[in-house]
Amino acid sequence: MSNAIEVRGLSKVYGEKRALDGMNLDVPSGSVFGFLGPNGAGKTTTLRILTGLAAPTTGEARVFGRDVTRATNEVRADIGVLPDVPGFYEWMTGPELLRFAGRLFGGGGPALERRVQALVDLAGLSGVTSRIGGYSRGMRQRLGVAQALINAPKLLMLDEPTSALDPIGRKEVLDMIASLGGRTTVFFSTHILSDVERVCDHVAILRGGRVVIQATVGELTSRHGDSRIDIEVTGPPGPLADELRSQPWATEVGCEESGTLSVKVDNLAAARVEIPAAVARLGLGLVRFETGERSLEEVFVDLAGGEE
Amino acid sequence: MSGFGAFLGKELGEIARTWRLWVLPGIVLFLALSGPPLAKVTPELVGTLMSEQQTGVLLRLPDPTYVDAYLQWTKNLSQLVLFAVIIISSGAISSERRSGTAVLVLTKPLSRRAFVLAKFVSHAALLITAVTLGALVTWGVTYAVFGEAPLRPLAEATGAWLALALLFVGLMLALSAVMDSQSGAAGLGFVVFIATSVGGLCRWAAEHKPAGLFGAPSDVVTGQAGPLGWPVVSALALTGALVAAATLVFVRREL
Repeated sequence: MSNAIEVRGLSKVYGEKRALDGMNLDVPSGSVFGFLGPNGAGKTTTLRILTGLAAPTTGEARVFGRDVTRATNEVRADIGVLPDVPGFYEWMTGPELLRFAGRLFGGGGPALERRVQALVDLAGLSGVTSRIGGYSRGMRQRLGVAQALINAPKLLMLDEPTSALDPIGRKEVLDMIASLGGRTTVFFSTHILSDVERVCDHVAILRGGRVVIQATVGELTSRHGDSRIDIEVTGPPGPLADELRSQPWATEVGCEESGTLSVKVDNLAAARVEIPAAVARLGLGLVRFETGERSLEEVFVDLAGGEE
Repeated sequence: MSGFGAFLGKELGEIARTWRLWVLPGIVLFLALSGPPLAKVTPELVGTLMSEQQTGVLLRLPDPTYVDAYLQWTKNLSQLVLFAVIIISSGAISSERRSGTAVLVLTKPLSRRAFVLAKFVSHAALLITAVTLGALVTWGVTYAVFGEAPLRPLAEATGAWLALALLFVGLMLALSAVMDSQSGAAGLGFVVFIATSVGGLCRWAAEHKPAGLFGAPSDVVTGQAGPLGWPVVSALALTGALVAAATLVFVRREL
């Protein structure tokens, strides 16, 4: 699979602050790619460089093989962008904005009109005749996604598309993004993990201006998602907790007030054999033995570390 | 220049459908309609005031003519209308940057050069249209009030002023590309306005530089104007240089 975006050693320095610090990133074509990171990690800076709004201090960024600092108009012809805080011409109606956006791409005539109508429908704005100044936040964000799609882009870049929306607005925008999967490469930055889990097939986690991990969502949770086992036994759990802490496959052992032991393991197969054996050795009865994988949220918290 | 036509279309549409349609043309047309009648009644008003105050001074004012009406027009252009031009143009680029619309359009195949040039063309088009209409209204009302209104001095005076006003549009565009604050850009514009008008008092500057265009419209009307070739040419050249500077600054700015 070829890459829609390739970033190598990308750095961006603002005075004393290093917003990006030698970042590397590959976004496969056709993927719905979640670009995760806490606030200030460098997500927006990356998107600004990729869209030609800012220049990198060092390093290289390519979109469909083209250097974003040189072939700016060629790159822009292939992409659609929704900024983090999109500004609209409030005096226009939604269809007028889409028509204007289409003309900037050289569009016109009946083909543009058909495209505008299709996107108005996709954004759920059919029958809305008011000017954009009267739109709700959700309507604006859906219009923002629609205008980014006016040129049927090969790559859609969305910067925090759901962060300012209520649950209904978020669902509507995520549904729009999910509907594009397979047709367009979607690269969207966010700090909302549930959004990534819901619509993305690939993910990269950014911390301190560097990508700390990049993988498919499945790989990430299996590679970094230590399994968790909840155990309840008859009798005091303390001796079992001490026993498990000495095991090489146990990465963390916690004891809740209820007496339930919560054990994180990096070798689930070994734990499944050895925990019941340890319970038996200590003369305890096994009441509950429940395994579960860590969510993407837990992986993110570990990898991003909550750092800026 | 990628996207110029589409963006210029947006700019003209914005003029037609927002406050921009009414402010500058409104000011210009109001002044055009009120100037000639005001010129007609001013001597009477002054005379009445003097007699009411019983100063004992006998003031003999000549009967007003079309020249007074034209002078009223040129004074209004050089002060009120130029102030309006400075204020209106001061946010031409920075307002789009602040509102986020610049990012929206500049992530599409619209070059920054086209963006700046379309801004200049739209502001210049509005200015030229409004002031040309205003001059025609002034001419018509002057003729109605005074029964005499030669077109040539009015056209020459208005044309000379337009060259100066375009220079200020270019200046404000450049300041708007450099500064984020609209009021800051407007303030600097006023500083340049004052400095240039003071510079116009210098004979060499008045004969060769755009500063000469400050007093030129009134001098044209009264038949006292010297050759305006150099001031007009230098003003237009400087306008082009300022638009180029605005483009250069904007191309290098990160958004």
